[in-house]
Amino acid sequence: MTLTKVVDQASILQGDRSKLKDLLRLRLTECGWNVEVRLLCRELVKEEGGNINVDKIVQTVTPKARNLVPDSVKKELLQKIKNILQEQMTDI
Amino acid sequence: MSENVCQHFRDYYKEFGSVTFDIVHAFFSVSTTTDARRRKALSCLCYTCGGSGPQLFACLHCIYFGCKGPHIFDHLKVNKHFIALELSYGIIYCNSCKDYMYHPECQTIAEVHLRNEAISLNKSLSWRPWAPNDVDINLLLANPKRRHTSGKSTIGLRGLMNLGSTCFMNCIVQALIHTPLLRDYFFAERHECSLKTSNKCLVCEMSRVFQEFYSGTRTPLSLHRLLHLIWTHARHLAGYEQQDAHEFFIATLDVLHRHCKNAKSEIEKSERSKDKKDISKDKEGVTNPAHCTCIIDQIFTGRLQSDVVCQSCKGVSTTIGDYILTSDPSLFNFHIVADPFWDISLDLGEVPHGSGVPKSLIDCLERFTRAEHLGSSSKIKCGSCKVYQESTKQLSMHTLPIVASFHLKRFEHSSQIDKKISTFISFPFELDMKPFMSKVNDSLGDYLYSLYAVINHVGSIDKGHFTAFVRHHKDVWVKCDDHMISTATLKDVLNSEGYMLFYHKKVLEYE
Repeated sequence: MTLTKVVDQASILQGDRSKLKDLLRLRLTECGWNVEVRLLCRELVKEEGGNINVDKIVQTVTPKARNLVPDSVKKELLQKIKNILQEQMTDI
Repeated sequence: MSENVCQHFRDYYKEFGSVTFDIVHAFFSVSTTTDARRRKALSCLCYTCGGSGPQLFACLHCIYFGCKGPHIFDHLKVNKHFIALELSYGIIYCNSCKDYMYHPECQTIAEVHLRNEAISLNKSLSWRPWAPNDVDINLLLANPKRRHTSGKSTIGLRGLMNLGSTCFMNCIVQALIHTPLLRDYFFAERHECSLKTSNKCLVCEMSRVFQEFYSGTRTPLSLHRLLHLIWTHARHLAGYEQQDAHEFFIATLDVLHRHCKNAKSEIEKSERSKDKKDISKDKEGVTNPAHCTCIIDQIFTGRLQSDVVCQSCKGVSTTIGDYILTSDPSLFNFHIVADPFWDISLDLGEVPHGSGVPKSLIDCLERFTRAEHLGSSSKIKCGSCKVYQESTKQLSMHTLPIVASFHLKRFEHSSQIDKKISTFISFPFELDMKPFMSKVNDSLGDYLYSLYAVINHVGSIDKGHFTAFVRHHKDVWVKCDDHMISTATLKDVLNSEGYMLFYHKKVLEYE
């Protein structure tokens, strides 16, 4: 089994995955990332004249959106994931 | 939203209904139970590559999971299945249209699942995008003009007329208007007031002042109604003399706090008359004033802890509140007495034993939270020694407020002489309150605060003028001097003398 799969399973099992997702969503909303990405999407839809679907938007916006995620948010999430995994390791 | 649903899904829905969606969503998209999480972790894997993501789809025609891309799309194509469920977000996908859709009934089911998941994990519901209701939509349609705010826009800034030595009020109002959480509260129209008291209610008046500030009008605003309300409700401030900004601030918070409570009890009363069954519940609410949840308490109230340490046995008695909690009496007595505060007044004078005058806000806070010897004349009966002993007393932060405001005691009143202390006290843009906490809990995030308003006093103790620096946007500071609003730099702010300092918590916790 690959490492990602183990991490995925461990985080889903205890419900941590869902809590981490919530936290990420909150932080991205707080720092204005959501608004910036929404603007990017709107611009793209305007450019394409409405002749566009979700997958195309995701493909075009994702690289820019990734760059817009503040380092502090990434760091916080990484730390939280590390803590959770460490806790689970000691439980086993 | 029926136009958002394609013909393919409509046909599917007619034939199969929402049962499959319901089950797949409850188990593999949000996992509403422990069992569902176990099944998701163990069996929700791509049938082609065995991977667990990052984005999986579930076929809604047969049992099949697949990674986004050829794994799921080939399955749908080969088997002529066309409806699938995207599992990360729980959104329906049609492979014929190559697009996602919102189906009202399925959305409702999904909302129920999200709530169940939150209950099962004992967490709060996650952030949801704002969904306007009918009232909101009608309001938006009726007011089609939109304002775009950018870093340069001046909306939210307005000068205030001086009504005769009312600069003490103007600068406090400027600081309150620029308190982010207070602004959100008023713009969200969270204050409810019965009509008969609303023209006497200071909270309603504040709400009007907020509207005026953001109306786009540039002429200075006159706060005569607000001033009159304060005069009526805080008699000691009435009259045309110069007043102290700090005193005004505390009085204003007090009146706002009282009026929030009044409005709440009025509304409860009217509800009670409608529905008389809940009397027992109401009583509980009335007899518990310590747990006020009004917006003023939510933003400004913090709690101090005071530890009295007996010098002979080192036993600690702690006071935090007006309720008393006794732990094992053979050890120490814990008296917990709530000491709520709206702001912290800091001494600037010479320290009795030692390090001279404080030079910075941190010095002042260290002095504030230092263990203080109570002296031989004020012995306190120790809980464990059972005799009067010399002891030390130490204050620390038990609970921090969202807005921490500090008052530098620049006006010294003594029996001989009243004077103003003009020493320079440096204060940081970003303040860490961690060293002053009673107990540090790392899982609760940090204790960082950032400066958003500074009130300054120029002149002497009996004749002077108050001005305010407020943060208008990120990195944009303005100076408010009654009717004059001018730009300022952070350096100007940090180099100013400082009389009252307002710090806002950087990261807010969610309940």
